[in-house]
Amino acid sequence: MAEVVFIGLSLASVLLLVALGLAITYGAMGVINMAHGEMVMLGAYTTVLTRIYLHLDLLAAIPLAFIVTALVGYAIERVVVRRLYGRLLDTLLATWGVAILIQQAVRLELGASFFGLHIAGLGPGLQNVAVPPELTGALTLGGVQVNAFRAFIIVVTLLLALVTWLLMYRTSIGIQVRAIMRNPRMAAACGIDVDRVNALTFAYGSGLAGIAGVMVSGFKTVFPDMGTPMVVDAFLVVVVGGVGSLVGSIFSAGLLGQLNGITAFLSNDIIARAVVFAFVIAVIMTRPRGLFAQRTR
Amino acid sequence: MPGKRTLDYAAYAAFIGLILCAPLVLEEFWLNRIAKFLVYGLLGVAIALSWGYAGILNLGQGLFFGLGAYMMAMSLKLASPTSLQQGSATPVPDFMLWNAEPGAKTDLCCINHGSFLWTPFQNPWFGIAMGVLVPVLVATLIGWVMFRKRISGVFVSIIMLALVLLVRLVVIDAQPVTNGFNGLTDLGNLVVFGVELDPYEVVTYYVVAGALALALIATRMLVETRAGLILQAIRDDQNRARYLGFDVPLYQVFFFAVSAAIAGVAGMLYVVVAQFASPTFMDLSFSITMVVWAAVGGRASLLGACIGAIGINIIEARASETQALVQAWRAVIGLIFVLVVLYLPRGVAGFASDAADAVLSRLGRKRPPAAQSAEERVAS
Repeated sequence: MAEVVFIGLSLASVLLLVALGLAITYGAMGVINMAHGEMVMLGAYTTVLTRIYLHLDLLAAIPLAFIVTALVGYAIERVVVRRLYGRLLDTLLATWGVAILIQQAVRLELGASFFGLHIAGLGPGLQNVAVPPELTGALTLGGVQVNAFRAFIIVVTLLLALVTWLLMYRTSIGIQVRAIMRNPRMAAACGIDVDRVNALTFAYGSGLAGIAGVMVSGFKTVFPDMGTPMVVDAFLVVVVGGVGSLVGSIFSAGLLGQLNGITAFLSNDIIARAVVFAFVIAVIMTRPRGLFAQRTR
Repeated sequence: MPGKRTLDYAAYAAFIGLILCAPLVLEEFWLNRIAKFLVYGLLGVAIALSWGYAGILNLGQGLFFGLGAYMMAMSLKLASPTSLQQGSATPVPDFMLWNAEPGAKTDLCCINHGSFLWTPFQNPWFGIAMGVLVPVLVATLIGWVMFRKRISGVFVSIIMLALVLLVRLVVIDAQPVTNGFNGLTDLGNLVVFGVELDPYEVVTYYVVAGALALALIATRMLVETRAGLILQAIRDDQNRARYLGFDVPLYQVFFFAVSAAIAGVAGMLYVVVAQFASPTFMDLSFSITMVVWAAVGGRASLLGACIGAIGINIIEARASETQALVQAWRAVIGLIFVLVVLYLPRGVAGFASDAADAVLSRLGRKRPPAAQSAEERVAS
């Protein structure tokens, strides 16, 4: 049974890892960022490129991926998202377009393929990332064999959740973000530079997705479409947890991860995902504001 | 002096005339392709009805499309020569035979645990009826629960999105009955009233074009009825409509179900034209792609959304004839979509409507002031 719980925990950690960034962009900013999955994808490709061009391993890619995706996120906020605040469904549609653009940019090797050039590591094909030797193999924790890389992901996820919590609740920028969450116009009236804080928040959320991409690349194949299913899962985690509630997202990632793990153990992976979807529908039907609802703008 | 509404009707008439005359100039290959795009146009109408008029952005319209498609495909699968030649009293789909347990009786009733569900589909009319009824039933049920609970906006979108992915997984998992990932292929032709609908024959094109013309006229008339006006009032301010005493969920469920029925018919026709049904119809990307078509064409215009769907697909088909453009085209679509949401929120139809307004007002200004003021008084 302990193995099943660990599998659930590991599924939950990946969910949370991807959802954490979305919890910030959607929860705090009211933007449904469908390009979030593409940020994960970019993070994964950063890992691939780091290995090819810098000969560095997955651990070194973590800060690089954060920087790359945070910059891309910043650009998206400046060019597209900032024109759409308050139009929730339009942000969903516009960022879906952005997502397609990013996918095609990777697939077309940033346009180089038109000129017959090939950038190693990009393009429509599949890429693989090797996990560093110190993270392969299994650990024995309390009599249970545990995959070391999975355990590493859980640790990273917890760390990132902690950092995000500290940022949101223990720094002055966090106070500003939360003020904007509650009431952006009042926040602006109090002298908060809403534009700047929004752009930074979006960049941070995207950066978290980039780190998630590095982690995911360690156990999944990397390809241009990999982000789409992830954004859906992450999005459901945020909605179930309650928009704007960090604790809610953590709780709901744990819940959905365990539900997935246990159902997969009892039947199969497909049914497990179907059960998760059914559970999500039931939660939204009964509590549209999520399990940990918070009054926001 | 033509009014705005006259122009609007003229646009509908011109479009319907165009699609009905297309076989005069098109060869068979393109006729089949255009028929497919007209089916997409039908989806555009369904999206515009629920999104533009009811204010419900359904990110799971592919569910109704897929259900309609599977219902039709089940009937056509049983009509295909391979199913008929299994040497049993009833036609048996080939994939059931491949996966049958040793000793299972080769008959639709009992070759596996779920195969009896297929029995009534031997009659194509049953498949056709189910292709509309099942989507309508599902839409009514889910709509009833959602709208009674006053769930709206993005939450409806999320529920429908989760639902379409859920059903997709169930269809994939029910491999013995649905052929799972592979979907239903190798279908027979639909025969109705003694006419065989071969996908490359003109008659099939006319069936699709006729269905689209009918759907356009019917939905346009529907939104101009009293119920349609109340629906738009609900879209603009749900609470006000509620306080005025209207049964808000009733109208929402009704139009949601109509939209589902249109999508179901579209699914059926797609199977007739394309001769397969597959779980990819219920992929998330397909459901969002439909919304993209409608948004580019004009989310608030039935005709606009329809033309958007057809136009984008024609350009896409043209672009994909050149290998290098296939991937670039997808990037262009992404870009167009971002630009439309940012700068043309009402799509091409909204742009055309504004242009028509400008022309009309310019024409109006040239008339004597007395006549103009009289008309303005009436208008206001």
